[in-house]
Amino acid sequence: MGVMDGILEGAKVAFSFHGILFVLMGVFLGTIIGMLPGLGPITAIGVMIPISYGMDANMALVMMAGIYYGAIFGGSTSSILLNAPGVAGTVATAFDGYPMAQQGKAGKALAIAAVSSFIGGTVGVILLMLFAPLLATVAISFGPPEYFALMLLALTAIASLSEGSTIKALISGTLGFMVAMIGIDGQTGTSRFTFGSASLLSGIDFLVIALGIFALAEVFKLIITRNDIDSGPNKNIGSIRITKSELKEMSGPASRQSVLGFLIGVLPGAGATIASFIAYITEKKIAKKPEEFGKGSIKGLTAPETANNAATSGAFVPLLSLGIPGSGTTAVLLGALMVMGIQPGPMLFTEKPDLFWGVIISMYIGNIFLLVLNLPLIPYISKLLNIPRPMLISLVTIFCLIGVYGISFNTFDLYLLLAFGIIGYLLRLVSFPAAPFILAFILGEMIEQSVRKSMTISNGSFMIFLERPITLAFLIITVLSLALPPLLGMRKKIKSIE
Amino acid sequence: MKRSLLFLGLSFALILAACNESSGDASSADGDWMPTKNIEIVAPSGAGGGWDTTARMAAKVLEEEGLIDQGIGVVNKTGGGGAVGWAYIATKKESPYNLFVTSTPMIDVPLNGQSDYDYTDFTPIANVIADYGAFAVKADSKWQTLNDLFDDMKKDPTSVTVIGSSSPGSMDHLKFAKFAKEAGVDITKIKYVSEQDGGELTALLNGSVDVFSTDVSEVVEQVRAGNIRVLAVTSEERLEGETISEFPTGVEQGINTTYINWRGFFGPKDLPEDALEFYEQKFKEMTETDAWKEIRANYGWGDFFMGHEEYQEFLKEQVESSKALLDELGIVR
Repeated sequence: MGVMDGILEGAKVAFSFHGILFVLMGVFLGTIIGMLPGLGPITAIGVMIPISYGMDANMALVMMAGIYYGAIFGGSTSSILLNAPGVAGTVATAFDGYPMAQQGKAGKALAIAAVSSFIGGTVGVILLMLFAPLLATVAISFGPPEYFALMLLALTAIASLSEGSTIKALISGTLGFMVAMIGIDGQTGTSRFTFGSASLLSGIDFLVIALGIFALAEVFKLIITRNDIDSGPNKNIGSIRITKSELKEMSGPASRQSVLGFLIGVLPGAGATIASFIAYITEKKIAKKPEEFGKGSIKGLTAPETANNAATSGAFVPLLSLGIPGSGTTAVLLGALMVMGIQPGPMLFTEKPDLFWGVIISMYIGNIFLLVLNLPLIPYISKLLNIPRPMLISLVTIFCLIGVYGISFNTFDLYLLLAFGIIGYLLRLVSFPAAPFILAFILGEMIEQSVRKSMTISNGSFMIFLERPITLAFLIITVLSLALPPLLGMRKKIKSIE
Repeated sequence: MKRSLLFLGLSFALILAACNESSGDASSADGDWMPTKNIEIVAPSGAGGGWDTTARMAAKVLEEEGLIDQGIGVVNKTGGGGAVGWAYIATKKESPYNLFVTSTPMIDVPLNGQSDYDYTDFTPIANVIADYGAFAVKADSKWQTLNDLFDDMKKDPTSVTVIGSSSPGSMDHLKFAKFAKEAGVDITKIKYVSEQDGGELTALLNGSVDVFSTDVSEVVEQVRAGNIRVLAVTSEERLEGETISEFPTGVEQGINTTYINWRGFFGPKDLPEDALEFYEQKFKEMTETDAWKEIRANYGWGDFFMGHEEYQEFLKEQVESSKALLDELGIVR
């Protein structure tokens, strides 16, 4: 059967009445799950596995995939309105989305996020459709040394995430690294910095930190500055219309980051979170006015929102073409496929073209549904900001608590959440940026583990990082990105002296 | 349409059931114990993993086949490779309403010093399934048989890198060490890389590592696609199934050892005798239903039922064997 026949088979699945119904259900559930901090797509799909048993496999997968990308789509809402990231992939969305909302442009921010998500998702699906079988080779081209080099490149962003003082950003990043080291070390099985607590053995969950440092810290700020009339969330929602000039501003980051985000999503282990950070950083680096980033920049909001949705499509490449799960959520999807009697693997493409193409085509429909569902809802959802402040504060706090408890059903995590809320507030008080902390935390474990895996493979020789072309290329870019700006600055100075 | 509504309803019901905590209160009437309220099965891992799926599937079959009349809720207690869930169950002494699912890590994790509780702190009820391990290499690898690989490793153990998803001293590492030791390789020098982000197969396929120590179910599709070759499976006899039956065992290549990844259900310590009998019987009946057999086939889980007595003996042997290996590897803490 040729590829065209396969695509036709898939279209039959996706455009059938049931196909459309299930994708609608999936993206609707996904949006809601994404909006609620803590409740993520992994849990939702995991709980659904036994229920989907006996269902038509195509429909079940269409729906579960919808939950996955719907959650990333919906996750931006709470990031923007409450500074509480709904899912890990939307932390970077809060960097510029929340300031925009505070400036009374919540409606616009949500609209931009929805449109960017739509562009990222759709471009991602197009790339997935055109290149999935081809990209399988890209997905397996990354070993531990390559991951190390890529993560190192991403880490250089700490400097660009600083709001003024580079030293403060570096200290904040180091703290993030230290927290990332807590738990059982993957390469030796030794527990580190757990102080004998079983709850710390598997480390600290990303969402505990993100909700603590962003959402709860914001709550503390609101409580402490409650008598200031000017501070706190702006109740103004503003227009949801995106003007022509704003669209123009979005077009650059949206087109670049949909491709870059997709490619990062293809790499197993990288995923939407890292894609969104890398997108944010690259856009800030090449922006004409990087100083606007972090203060409600349209580019700064478009970039991560496009990238995380594109990465979600990218994550389906290794899953569908190789049977390799690239992220926690796709691993659960893989389990779901198995229970329906389908063996995910390299043969899926030829043996189950209806499933393979059906899911991909349904993702176009899903993205359109998401846009249509989300845009008209914006004025209603952003009314959340009109809730009186005492109630809003309690609401956000409760969301954070439920979200964190939902990760592991462990009350210990609630204390951790509180601790990170306080740390987050203190960091702000002394104007240390929180973004480098969270970035170093995300990358920390992967960097450390990939170095050590590489060293085990090479019997302790550092040459392994220089012998491999991809690794070497990343390392050269890393060095350039660190060395070029100061060098250029020096040249300018010398010229001005002359 | 109806089906989808039912589906939504069911998902909410399940979430509700999962929230419904129950604690000890045994209503025992001499040997004829019946549960009188909801039963909780703890999966000491996140949703979607092996423990979680086993627990959810068992709960589904037990309820839907009418084996147990009470609701069964699956609760995830994530953390510490199971340690967090075990610590939780340890607080439920004697309660016949708090079961949990566990497998080989129940042996390895305490031996590695990562949990204060070991299997003797709980009551093994019944084992239900078994997985076997497989050692795979890239399709164009120079090693055709397990002995080819071990011959090279006998000359220089550090020339080969092995990858697996469990941490050093746990399943994927141990089973490879067990076979290598039997073949006469110096197992203290084996280079083992632990990959916990799902990149094991990637690392094997792009040549970063040489050998992938994993479960049989992980390799079948890759073999069919011609990407990898399985040097050996860890079962006593060849496994049944299309491609699977082509995988040679270690035993038939003269490496006389096996490794089994068992999975079963436990209760808290001092589980009342009559409740134990009740659950043992129900799990036995469950493994005999067609629904369970079909689920097993889909996941590639092998049938391996053991009742309480037999299970305890088996676990004792497992601890001995793992401890000896870990001692030699220098990992027992």
